[in-house]
Amino acid sequence: MTDGPVLVVGGGPAGASAAASLAEAGLPVLLVEQRDALGGAIHRQPAPGHAHHIRLPARHRRNWAALTARLSTTAGRIEIRTRTIFLGVDGQGRFLFDDRAAERVFACRPRAAIIAVGAVETIRPFPGWERPGVMTAGGAQVLLKETGRPPQGPILVAGSGPLLLAVAAQLAEAGNPPVAVLERGRPWRAPGALAQLGLSGGLVGEGLGYLARLAASRVPYRTGAEVTRAEPQGDRLKVVIRTGSAEDVVQVRHLLVHDGIAPNRTGIPLPAPDAAVPVLLAGDGREALGADAAILDGRRAAMQLLARFGRAETTTPAEERGLSRARAVQTALAQALHAEAAPPPPETLICRCEGRSYAELAALPEDASAREIRLMGRFGLGACQGRFCGPMIAALRGRPMPAAAPPRWPLRPVSLAALARLTTDETE
Amino acid sequence: MTAHFYWNGEPVPFRPGETIAAALLGAGIVHLGRGRIFCGIGACQGCLVAMTGAAAVEACLTPARNGLRLSPLAEEQADHD
Ligand SMILES: Cc1cc2nc3c(=O)[nH]c(=O)nc-3n(C[C@H](O)[C@H](O)[C@H](O)COP(=O)(O)OP(=O)(O)OC[C@H]3O[C@@H](n4cnc5c(N)ncnc54)[C@H](O)[C@@H]3O)c2cc1C
Ligand code: FES
Repeated sequence: MTDGPVLVVGGGPAGASAAASLAEAGLPVLLVEQRDALGGAIHRQPAPGHAHHIRLPARHRRNWAALTARLSTTAGRIEIRTRTIFLGVDGQGRFLFDDRAAERVFACRPRAAIIAVGAVETIRPFPGWERPGVMTAGGAQVLLKETGRPPQGPILVAGSGPLLLAVAAQLAEAGNPPVAVLERGRPWRAPGALAQLGLSGGLVGEGLGYLARLAASRVPYRTGAEVTRAEPQGDRLKVVIRTGSAEDVVQVRHLLVHDGIAPNRTGIPLPAPDAAVPVLLAGDGREALGADAAILDGRRAAMQLLARFGRAETTTPAEERGLSRARAVQTALAQALHAEAAPPPPETLICRCEGRSYAELAALPEDASAREIRLMGRFGLGACQGRFCGPMIAALRGRPMPAAAPPRWPLRPVSLAALARLTTDETE
Repeated sequence: MTAHFYWNGEPVPFRPGETIAAALLGAGIVHLGRGRIFCGIGACQGCLVAMTGAAAVEACLTPARNGLRLSPLAEEQADHD
């Protein structure tokens, strides 16, 4: 074990909470974030000089203000490196980073690491999801928060989950309400689950607020409706919508899709109990439970490390209770929005990076292993390393797709020149 | 003149602090050669763009800078595993 800092990767709510908790206990922390500012998926900050058009619910704003205050109180013990990408752990156990501003790769051996790299959105594939003009709803929201400018031209928002409503309401607020929001599930048919959500805190109130905003802009919220196809037509997308057995077609410039979120695990070193450098996951990157839970989970991970170093009790009952509540909310939400998955048409692209279709996936043996799916099927081998097709394949085959072991690095393309400059004497 | 970078030789204006992806979308550019902006958070690698004199970068993560010369990835770069 070294006396170096504890590494925290990811400057979202989970990473910020972990870093502050460790620093408050007196430990030096290296906090690494790939973007130019902290905040994570939810608190993406507007570019300097841009007005803050997109207002998050007050609870989230208060939570983030509290976290940034804690970070500045402990600033002396936290080294924050933005525009720095965690690339993974190499064969010699070195943690590698790409400092994008300095165009250089560096390595360090931390005392321990908390990896809080958040979630990725999942989507259910349909023919055309890979076309330009189709974006994830959360990705579009991140851009909207950054600029305050909505994408121009008609927008359709489709898929499943509360994020659809949030994004649509924010687009309306920013001046370009979507033509419709399509929710695959039929929440009104699951009153039990809705009632349970109503009892469990702010989520339903937040959702009703968004619905009211959409009603004010006359944006239809259609449940039990889904996109079955999108194809380019001039500079537009022709989108086919199915509602029960009825079909209709809309022409839009942008199609925003989203079917939930899942932990971003690809290439992330998983904790081994006997590892020389303990590695813990925190936040949505451990279990996708949302922003409030991410703060609790960051603190829980920090306390687990402190306990390991003999500096705190392991148990964090308040955090555990909060996490169970968040889990119950997610379960009720999944019940309220459940929609049976039908296999997509054979020509549907599954792996966009390598151009592999559902027909090619379905042709693999029923019991193909993750390795066979990769090597025989050539799925998950492209630049995104399976971050998108991995969850799709798992959902379509009805079982998880195990991660490649050991994790592959670099997580991202990195300049060979920058890698070549990495020598042992650059190890910090 | 406002700050701008070049996409395929054409100037694209941006406001300071914006990412390359935000500026491209703001200018109505959605086709990035074989690529496109999709996840907005650096995960899908669909938005990799070539930068003259430097390594390819994710447009959605990289702040725009005045005078950058950007273009779609060459086929063999896009295919690179
Ligand atoms: C696109 C998107 C939009 C979302 N919008 C909302 C919203 O509006 N409201 C809401 O309640 N929830 C939203 N969520 C859910 C969100 O995941 C949680 O609410 C919350 O942000 C989770 O906090 P976290 O700290 O676990 O992860 P995040 O907030 O995602 O933070 C992870 C951080 O790690 C950084 N990172 C990732 N990989 C690396 C790497 N290799 N090296 C260095 N840094 C890295 C990221 O840039 C990010 O800042 C969104 C999720 C996604 C994916
Ligand atoms: S849009 Fe997915 S990595 Fe940039």
